[in-house]
Amino acid sequence: MMLLHAGARLHDAATGEVIAGADLGQRVQEQAKAFADLPPGVLFARISPDVAGVLGYLAALEAGRAVALLDPAQDRDVLDGLIARFRPAAVLGAGEGDPPPGYRENWVRADAEGVVPHEDLAVLLPTSGSTGNPKFVRLSRQAIAANAEAIAEVLGIDENEVAPTSLPLHYSYGMSVLNSHLVRGATVVLENSGVVGRGFWDAVTRYGVTSLAGVPYHYEMLRRMRFDPAKYPTLRTLTQAGGRLRPELITEFHTKMTEAGGRMFVMYGQTEAGPRMSTLPSERLDEKLGSVGPALPGGMFSIRAEDGTEITEPGVTGEVVYRGPNVMMGYAESEAELSLGDVTGGELVTGDLGHLDADGYLFVTGRIKRIGKVFGNRVSLDDLEQIVKAHGAAAAVPAGDKVVIWLDGADKDTCKAAAKLLAETLHLHVTGFDVRGSDGFPLLPSGKIDYRSLEARA
Amino acid sequence: MSLNDRLRGVFVDALQLDADVDVENLKYRDIDEWDSVGHMALVAAIEDEFDVQFETEQVIDMSSFKVALDMVKGFGISE
Repeated sequence: MMLLHAGARLHDAATGEVIAGADLGQRVQEQAKAFADLPPGVLFARISPDVAGVLGYLAALEAGRAVALLDPAQDRDVLDGLIARFRPAAVLGAGEGDPPPGYRENWVRADAEGVVPHEDLAVLLPTSGSTGNPKFVRLSRQAIAANAEAIAEVLGIDENEVAPTSLPLHYSYGMSVLNSHLVRGATVVLENSGVVGRGFWDAVTRYGVTSLAGVPYHYEMLRRMRFDPAKYPTLRTLTQAGGRLRPELITEFHTKMTEAGGRMFVMYGQTEAGPRMSTLPSERLDEKLGSVGPALPGGMFSIRAEDGTEITEPGVTGEVVYRGPNVMMGYAESEAELSLGDVTGGELVTGDLGHLDADGYLFVTGRIKRIGKVFGNRVSLDDLEQIVKAHGAAAAVPAGDKVVIWLDGADKDTCKAAAKLLAETLHLHVTGFDVRGSDGFPLLPSGKIDYRSLEARA
Repeated sequence: MSLNDRLRGVFVDALQLDADVDVENLKYRDIDEWDSVGHMALVAAIEDEFDVQFETEQVIDMSSFKVALDMVKGFGISE
């Protein structure tokens, strides 16, 4: 059964329900059978961290139906837009609302005619932060399986591990935590309140949670909470991905965990790689501080110089290129593109700048594309500028886990309104957008905005 | 300014709330602005405003405006 080891367990923290072993396999198979009656097309799954959400996802994989994982809190108009463009066979977890035109009461498409997705296609994930037309990353069955195995191997995940859903399951990192645990027969605790919620920490204690996955803002939060691993004797592994964490925080958490007999892993990935590309072994963290580690087993990094030549020699900075079995098949922007085969050949040009050291450890040092991260979610900086243009000319630069947007001639209220607009449009928390008024922008001799000096000022 | 009003101001600024929000009756996750990300911003802002440091248990138990107000009073901060 795809991704599902015989020993895998799901624990629903909200209901106390436990599904494990043969019972879990059987329930997945029953639901998979029901999918056979659906018309051709992708399944949309508005996936919450609960039993129904995970069963729907696993059943789709088991049935060989491509499944797109979507934010259950996504606005109706965005969902309707995706439905119109991709014509899913059905929408799982649709909730209470009325189905859109062309869909039956149970959110199954009325029209029996539709594009059959490519047979290798398993999972579709939306690329985060894109404003106009969100597109899907197409991940094959092989990519999903290979990445789950490789992650499980480097983190040493076995049947004794207990991982909570500290990240949303429609987010590639969250999905990978689920996959890499189920594939090794471990336990996944389905919990919805997040790392600042009382319910989360009660679940950590009650279910003997052994690991915690977080993006940089989670670590900022854990620091503010004065997280003490001594209080949670089972919790001995921390993993971090989803953007660059400040080195002093990496060291702080690594020290804390090491003193408690635990481990801290820094990792690097992109949704386009299903998502993990590298993991820094915990025991080499001090020596390699600032690195994201070597490529996962089966994968490889190289550096593409400005003239297009590719090198693996240490110390040369260029664009990071990754090759591996987990790289996406490509993107899909419409229903027709769901039938496409692999167009990447297993190669991902990341848009990140970096260099390798003599041991093949990658150091990511910046970005080529104008990309920022807001609480682990990738956003196009050019898109941000477009969104707020009604409020004035804007220049957006990355600033750690947030972005700073300089707004020409804007007063305090205008800045506040612009931040709110960004938060609403992108469905990210308003505090991720630091909008500041400015009196013009620094310019390069070419007349273009000098983003580098703005970034230094941020 | 009363303690209640000071804390109210901190909520409005940290969570960037609209004027029509009933802050005094607000609970964690009632509104989009007070999610886990907002919570971190809020805790930081309260600590700065009243020059206090919350314990882990207090951070995860701060589930409403009223609870936050009681916690601030618990530090011996008065009107």
